[in-house]
Amino acid sequence: MSGSDTPSPDVLTACGLGHTPYRDGLRLQEALVAARAAGETGDWLLFPDHPPVLTVGRSGSEASLRAEPRRLEQMGIELFQVARGGDVTWHGPGQLVGYTICELGRWGHDLHRFLRAIEEALVSTLEHFGIHGETVPGRTGVWVEGEKIASIGIAVRRWVSYHGFALNVAPDLGSFDLIHPCGLRGIRMTSLAVRLGSSAPSLAEARRTAAEETARRLGYVGVAWVGEAEPWRWVPELPGGREALRESSWDRGRSNDSADTVQIALAGGGVMNPAGRDRVAEVKEL
Amino acid sequence: MSVSIVVPQLGESVAEGTVSKWLKAVGDRVRKEEPLVEIQTDKINVEIPSPAEGTLQQILVPEGTTVLVGTEIGVLANGGEATATARPAAAPGAATAAPAGAPAGGARAPAPPPAASERPALAAPAVPVPAGSGGDGETWLGESRNLSPAVRRLMREHQVGPEEIGRIRGSGVAGRVTRDDLMDYLKTRSAPARAGAAPPIPAAPAPPREAGPRPGFLTPSTGQAVAAGPREEVVPFTKVRKLIAENMVKSKHTAPHVTTFDEVDMTAVVELRKEWTPRLEPQGVKLTYMPFFIKASVFALREFPWVNGTVRGDSIVLRRYYNIGMAVGRDEKGLIVPNIKDCDRKNLVQIAAEVNDLAARARADRLRMEEIEGGTFSITNAGVFGATNSAPIINFPEVAILGVHKIVERPVIRGGQIVPRHMMNVALSFDHRVIDGELAVKFLRRVSELLERPELLWFYA
Repeated sequence: MSGSDTPSPDVLTACGLGHTPYRDGLRLQEALVAARAAGETGDWLLFPDHPPVLTVGRSGSEASLRAEPRRLEQMGIELFQVARGGDVTWHGPGQLVGYTICELGRWGHDLHRFLRAIEEALVSTLEHFGIHGETVPGRTGVWVEGEKIASIGIAVRRWVSYHGFALNVAPDLGSFDLIHPCGLRGIRMTSLAVRLGSSAPSLAEARRTAAEETARRLGYVGVAWVGEAEPWRWVPELPGGREALRESSWDRGRSNDSADTVQIALAGGGVMNPAGRDRVAEVKEL
Repeated sequence: MSVSIVVPQLGESVAEGTVSKWLKAVGDRVRKEEPLVEIQTDKINVEIPSPAEGTLQQILVPEGTTVLVGTEIGVLANGGEATATARPAAAPGAATAAPAGAPAGGARAPAPPPAASERPALAAPAVPVPAGSGGDGETWLGESRNLSPAVRRLMREHQVGPEEIGRIRGSGVAGRVTRDDLMDYLKTRSAPARAGAAPPIPAAPAPPREAGPRPGFLTPSTGQAVAAGPREEVVPFTKVRKLIAENMVKSKHTAPHVTTFDEVDMTAVVELRKEWTPRLEPQGVKLTYMPFFIKASVFALREFPWVNGTVRGDSIVLRRYYNIGMAVGRDEKGLIVPNIKDCDRKNLVQIAAEVNDLAARARADRLRMEEIEGGTFSITNAGVFGATNSAPIINFPEVAILGVHKIVERPVIRGGQIVPRHMMNVALSFDHRVIDGELAVKFLRRVSELLERPELLWFYA
């Protein structure tokens, strides 16, 4: 946080990661958490597109799975035990997953305040699309008329958060039948697509709004969008699936000082990064 | 020297946390700042770094337990010497290293030489034992095979020595002796073993037992006094518990409850059930009393439709379908009320089969959402647990609930004669916004009559 080449803590760097196997996403998060804790980078909001996957948080158990492990295997759905809070959940196409890599000092290290702010950001996001979302004390997440539309599960390491939220934009809600979402029995999931029909936003629209609302509710001055290769600079050793990236932006990323991203971000207003158009695609002031 | 591992402050609004995962085992060496344990609060799981370099000496709070912020959950022995002594504690043989009656220091004599003189590492009374108990003597409890507070408490109460624990085959993680293991063991434990194990218990606070056996009820209080660990435990509500709590508050808060009582002569139904149980058994149907209660209720509901209604705004919605809920108790899993659809169109045997099926699936957590939605009236049977009477809470947004109870053979007067009859109290709690006392009493009387004279169903149903 103190180094001159460190992005301002007041900007939330957002990035759509594109197709991201869950395992890779985990690696990326861990690398960014380490870098953030060491003050080498700023706060991030990452949007991975995960293939179908089930993840079990620390309060989860096998009892929350409805499908037999063998069936999951047949369906090609991997199961991960992860260090986030909460029970089991599903991620997959049509869902907006957001990883919040945030230093919690700005929250006075108050975990619940941080959770509530993320809930508020999701409620604001829904409001933007004309949906009245609610939070329910003791049942973290966002609900629409008693049905769950967004789930939250956070992990914290060295006072840096990771994992984050999952907002159902237009997923196949049948996927949740594989589990008891969040360990709740008889829970019903809903989505923007179910609520809004043909007027539902695309995943990209939802991503943009969610990033803006998250930045606003979490008290950042703005969102800096960067290209999908950018965050991988922080991974010491790139996963195999990102071979292509190694060729292009990985080397480029290394040759460039990260400071340029920041300066441009602070300058505001849709500036292209001279080092490569995918580095800073757009900067938006709130 | 030992260092306490406590649940750190996780924010002003956070009062408690759940130990979600120990990342190190007892005896493991940790560096300062190395992740040691995870604490979860709400949907945030936090990795807690080690406060110092050293060896994890004790885990005081097992995974899954919720404790207040600031609670000591483990002990770290720091300093290079400590490692050598702490490691044997995790080894299977270590528990037997403390022979009964040996002085506490002597017990550790066989430990590797460099550590032998550094006793404080293990003897430091970091275990939260109540004042007065000898810290030295207590440490074996903590060091032996990573035992949970519950197990340690039981060991104290039943004077189970470390070598005894060493003989028990643990069914827990890594062969850990669980509370159930110990309970099973205690059931089979012979008296001499107890006598032999007694000496290692520090005699300080517990008054010496008299030679002769004393009645069990005289001793527990002393056992409690010695028990280590917190005297209170925070058990967070499960999701189901929270939902039950919400629904109960909503019901009591919205519907002004009144309960009326009656008593039913169940002799005829008892006879019928006795006769029909063996006949239905081959069909795989277990005939309980519930189908009779359902049938009688449906017939009475048709006659008094408001009791089958629900309030919507300033109206009552009368429902001409009869989805009858039955409360199923599931111990710690919490109450659930699935309902049987369209009971007016099903015969008693069909209803009996559905009662069996729903109750079984409710207990196995295999209910579908629609089975707990859309009920119109509910029945709760507190009699299965022995209650002779109760005033139930309405299964909101329904407007009435029937409480049935234990059937007791009692002397009653029939035609001037004292005769034994199978009697049962029934209760009807109703929403006085829509149902007046007169209606409720008449309804309950009708249910009672139909149970007393099942032949009425023949003539009128």
